[in-house]
Amino acid sequence: MDIFSQLGNIIVELYKSSGLATLGWQNYVMIVISFILMFLAIKKQYEPLLLLPIAFGMMLVNIFPAIMGNPVTQFMTEEQLVAGGLDPNSYIKTTMADGSVVYNVTQNGGLFYYLYQGVHLGIFPPLIFLGIGAMTDFGPLIANPKSFILGAAAQIGIFITFIGAILLGFKTNEAGSIAIIGGADGPTAIFVTSKLSPELLGPIAVAAYSYMALVPIIQPPIMKLLTTKKERSIVMGQLRPVSKLEKIIFPIVVVVLVAILLPDAAPLVGMLMLGNLFKESGVVDRIAKTAQNELMNIVTIFLGVTVGATASGTLFLTPKTLGIIALGLIAFCLGTACGVLFGKIMCWATKGKVNPLIGSAGVSAVPMAARISQKVGQEENPANFLLMHAMGPNVAGVIGSAVAAGVLISVLK
Amino acid sequence: MNIDTERLMLALTLLLAGFIIVFVVLILLILIITIYGKIIQTAQGASQKRKQQKKKVVVEAKKEEKTAGPAVFGNAGSQNDEIPGEIIAVIAAAVDAVYGKSAHGRIRSVKRSRSSRSEWGRAGIAENTRSF
Repeated sequence: MDIFSQLGNIIVELYKSSGLATLGWQNYVMIVISFILMFLAIKKQYEPLLLLPIAFGMMLVNIFPAIMGNPVTQFMTEEQLVAGGLDPNSYIKTTMADGSVVYNVTQNGGLFYYLYQGVHLGIFPPLIFLGIGAMTDFGPLIANPKSFILGAAAQIGIFITFIGAILLGFKTNEAGSIAIIGGADGPTAIFVTSKLSPELLGPIAVAAYSYMALVPIIQPPIMKLLTTKKERSIVMGQLRPVSKLEKIIFPIVVVVLVAILLPDAAPLVGMLMLGNLFKESGVVDRIAKTAQNELMNIVTIFLGVTVGATASGTLFLTPKTLGIIALGLIAFCLGTACGVLFGKIMCWATKGKVNPLIGSAGVSAVPMAARISQKVGQEENPANFLLMHAMGPNVAGVIGSAVAAGVLISVLK
Repeated sequence: MNIDTERLMLALTLLLAGFIIVFVVLILLILIITIYGKIIQTAQGASQKRKQQKKKVVVEAKKEEKTAGPAVFGNAGSQNDEIPGEIIAVIAAAVDAVYGKSAHGRIRSVKRSRSSRSEWGRAGIAENTRSF
């Protein structure tokens, strides 16, 4: 009978420590959401490189919340340590104000807690930017610098959403973090949020990356609504070839100008342009390849799973999070609309030489937003190739959103 | 909802400041890139001219092929050394696939374009423009 009662105790203890006893309904909802995201990543291939690790991290943290647990320090007396079978000499001794002696016993945090420090301390976003810089060809932007206007226009949505968030009662620093979702740039959104309101990192990162993945669904209706068939059919002239020297000078000029005027944007823009200089200089091929492949992939895995792991059910399923996700969508739509509207202005100013569809690519999300401009343009005119023209505003949008991030941080920090 | 005037003023100030700063920084970049682009183009154009004066320039003759329809494409190959009749037939089929019945014209000439992009560059464009 003793064996059976011990077996019973073991089963009860096992049940108590299992997810069945500890998880709330919110965790189960988040697990279902993670399944949906995994389906979208694997079956529909919506940004699978990001969505798959995010969804898996989300699932894992809702099954086993301790994986994101902070390290804990306990004060224990010598007697307690000995009773627990621990050697007091292995721990740091502290004398309290009343003269008693205690030992600091530290329990390590969960795996994701440590990986998350790269997000929390704002290390991963600039590293991702290094990789993006090493993969980006700024040639179309150098060939047509006016694209910068469209990259700037698409950032207006950020600042309009900031007012909306204030009106809805968010604090100013929270409003800044929510508004940056409109830049459609995941690393920038994480960087700004880690500086302004770290407690909102989970919902903001998940919203930013989800909207980036859903660009093919969100953008085309707005683009079609704001343009006429005639405008969408405009064929743009070929871009001039850009020399290697121009491409090498570009990252240096951008960093010098942006870092002097907006030091808060220096980590993002600096790393972006360093990566680009690696690529364009042609003398550090090994480093350029590492930045755009191995380093980028490693950081993407850590960033993805830990961002997903911030979406713990009890913290995530709140009215505030739903407000953030709704405002993020508005910011993203406004950015797209402002880009297209400025595209229309440029179309009018150049007497029909600019296709307004390239304006929507101003919302970063490289290269997906540019591919959407290409796709929507080709629906009207199959012989139209807008991709290279749209890449100009697209990469300008990356610089523009980093500049907007610098403005938000310097004003709201 | 109690929104104090001070926060609203901050929001409006940020809207204005953000709008102006982002545009000013990016317009400055436009100016700088345009200026140095012009300087480099002029400098490189001058050095190319000097090189051209020293070298003998070989000009490729433009080849034109007149065709009247698919039946003629077979003969076109024999008239043109560079573009075989089969290739011209494929080009005609591609044009027909893209424009369909909306184009009522006929193919009068097929010219080999001088592409400024490498094969790898074109493969990259094809990859980026494939349907979702």
